[in-house]
Amino acid sequence: MIEKSMGNSDKGGSDDRLFTIKTYTALFVGKLLLTITRLLGRGGTTLPGRIALMIKPDLVKILARQIKTGSIVVTGTNGKTTTSALLTSILKEAGLICINNQSGSNMSWGVASAFVEKARISGKIPVDYAILEVDEGAFPAVTAELQPRAIVVTNIFRDQLDRYGEIDYIQNAIQSGLEFQPGNSLQVINADDPSLVALSQRSGISRLTYGLDLNLPDDNLHYTGRDLKTCPLCREELAYERLYYAHLGYYYCPACNFRHPRADVRLTDYSSSRDGSTQLTVKHPKGSITLTSNLTGRYNLYNILAALTCSLGLGIQDNFIVSAIEKAAPSFGRMEHFFCEEKNIIMALIKNPVGANEVIRTVLSMNERFSLMVAINDKIADGKDVSWLWDVDFEQLTARQPNISSLTASGLRAWDMAVRFKYAGFDQNKIEIDSNTEAALIAALDKTPRSGTLFILPSYTAMLEIRRHLNKMGMGKPYWEA
Amino acid sequence: MTKINLYHLYPDQLNLYGDRGNILALSQRALWRGLDLQVIAIQPDDHIDFSKCDLLFMGGGQDSEQQLVARDLKTRRSDLIKVVEKGMPVFAVCGSYQLLGNYYMTSAGTRIEGLQILNIHTEAGQNRLIGNAVINCHLWKEPKTLVGFENHAGRTYLKPPAEPLGSVISGNGNNSSDGTEGAVYKNVIGTYLHGALLPKNPWLTDFLLQKALSYRGKNTDLSDLNDTMEIKAHMEAIKLADSKKHRRNSTRC
Repeated sequence: MIEKSMGNSDKGGSDDRLFTIKTYTALFVGKLLLTITRLLGRGGTTLPGRIALMIKPDLVKILARQIKTGSIVVTGTNGKTTTSALLTSILKEAGLICINNQSGSNMSWGVASAFVEKARISGKIPVDYAILEVDEGAFPAVTAELQPRAIVVTNIFRDQLDRYGEIDYIQNAIQSGLEFQPGNSLQVINADDPSLVALSQRSGISRLTYGLDLNLPDDNLHYTGRDLKTCPLCREELAYERLYYAHLGYYYCPACNFRHPRADVRLTDYSSSRDGSTQLTVKHPKGSITLTSNLTGRYNLYNILAALTCSLGLGIQDNFIVSAIEKAAPSFGRMEHFFCEEKNIIMALIKNPVGANEVIRTVLSMNERFSLMVAINDKIADGKDVSWLWDVDFEQLTARQPNISSLTASGLRAWDMAVRFKYAGFDQNKIEIDSNTEAALIAALDKTPRSGTLFILPSYTAMLEIRRHLNKMGMGKPYWEA
Repeated sequence: MTKINLYHLYPDQLNLYGDRGNILALSQRALWRGLDLQVIAIQPDDHIDFSKCDLLFMGGGQDSEQQLVARDLKTRRSDLIKVVEKGMPVFAVCGSYQLLGNYYMTSAGTRIEGLQILNIHTEAGQNRLIGNAVINCHLWKEPKTLVGFENHAGRTYLKPPAEPLGSVISGNGNNSSDGTEGAVYKNVIGTYLHGALLPKNPWLTDFLLQKALSYRGKNTDLSDLNDTMEIKAHMEAIKLADSKKHRRNSTRC
């Protein structure tokens, strides 16, 4: 009976009516499992949420109403983790209390795990905002449950096709998620991505767009990884005035009127310093912001813009935005730095061709000589289909072969990766292969000279494994504390 | 230096699932043997002179791009049939494989005409067939295994003279019911397997190169290469495809 009245009531009336025995049971069991998994040295970002949802399928919906101002959902193929981390820092800088699911566990159970962790046993979550990165596939269901105050969509690239079939499907998923967005809420999208600009907009939603406004040399990789080639409206081939990377840029359709809109928030200037930091100038409707960032890579320009635009839309003052971004360090597994026996370890997650190409480009711009280890797993969270490795431009590295001190392929798909290196033109006798990530890591570190740098490019679950090994060796914090 | 002209049909439109790996496998294995393999990218509306082509590769595409390409390809159908009958090797993956057939029946019941080069037809299925796949391939007197990854909603059915490329050991194959995978007619090979397929199955790569050479009138045998790494990757992939433990592991992070 109680369950039924809950389903009918829109706002839920008094909170007490929402809390059934099952809610408390789900919370209690979830928290218990979280404690146990942490004791076992695991993150507990998946299992507690899964079990809690089994006990109480609408747990997220109920707990979401406890959040004072509301939830902010960040979705899209690349940049979810960094964008939500930046956004969280900015809101915290402004004195707001925030929670999030920072470690990239972004399916519905990841969101549930975050809520289970942060809720008191009474079911209260005494915070202002929940900033949640949500997988594109889980986006419609999670949005319906959360009724978010703001949604940020970063981009749509080819990613994990085995899970979703095709890119058209991801675009449809994002569109149907946006249908659940409540009135008077905020939508932040990347103007340089044609597939996002084509998304239709419900009335009453305020949309803010962001994008680059730079004259960069056209050094894109000959359109490799340009997944979207046709106009989202009329399916004619798109043309570009500027192409920043992949299909992001100033596009226009020669056949219909579809074209790049002038973004509300634009990066109009950027320059890099010798220390690796970047100076940015951003123009927005009410003025302009100048700031310095320590995040490397062109993809991070978009992440900064996304977080900045969303903050402006929520009414956060410029000074909080600037100081939070200036303090930001790379997030979990995104160009993270570790230090061991006078050797540098830099780890950067790779999960799809566009992201991986940008990571490799950044690696090559950072160090003259280095060791490299690529670790690829094929579990569900990595994508079971490893064919995307063939769309990554590992050939960028081949020319630098004499400067690569050691080259290692690891993970469940170590041999696929080794073959990939071989066909990229590497000498097959110089490829170290060990599917065990721990043994591979120790050997690769051994081969890295003192004061040298080892770059580790892992897929998602390989990154979790390698983090555990690094923690065991005394480096970094466990990832659930990161 | 012996030349092989590889025509890559619509690389910008048909390039899903690491098809670039297939091109790399063909060109590297040619190069390592001192053969001069030229990859010629064919764009829609280009004039194609099939008389210069020794091997044709067609990849997979998304539905929207597939339709764009199908329109264009139909204008070249009669030229393509002529060279296919003469024995030109064609390798087509996933969407292109379907396109070489008689028709594709969508779930709404719309019939999309194909190129009618392979005597096969495809019907849209309810769910996508996704996962690792291993087949026993009959292109050689002593069958060899091929290992790849499949991801397709269509169910494809064969009629003579189209022969299956292989029989399914694990995975779904053409339609998940008759145990066949892919189709062969003359030197045309169509398959649902990507991965990319050729790098991990070097004997299939060499089969295509050999056919391209004989089609050009060179009956030289391909020299042996050191395939230790490819064979190991092939065996490991079969192990992963078969392993129940791996499948169970795969459901969690």
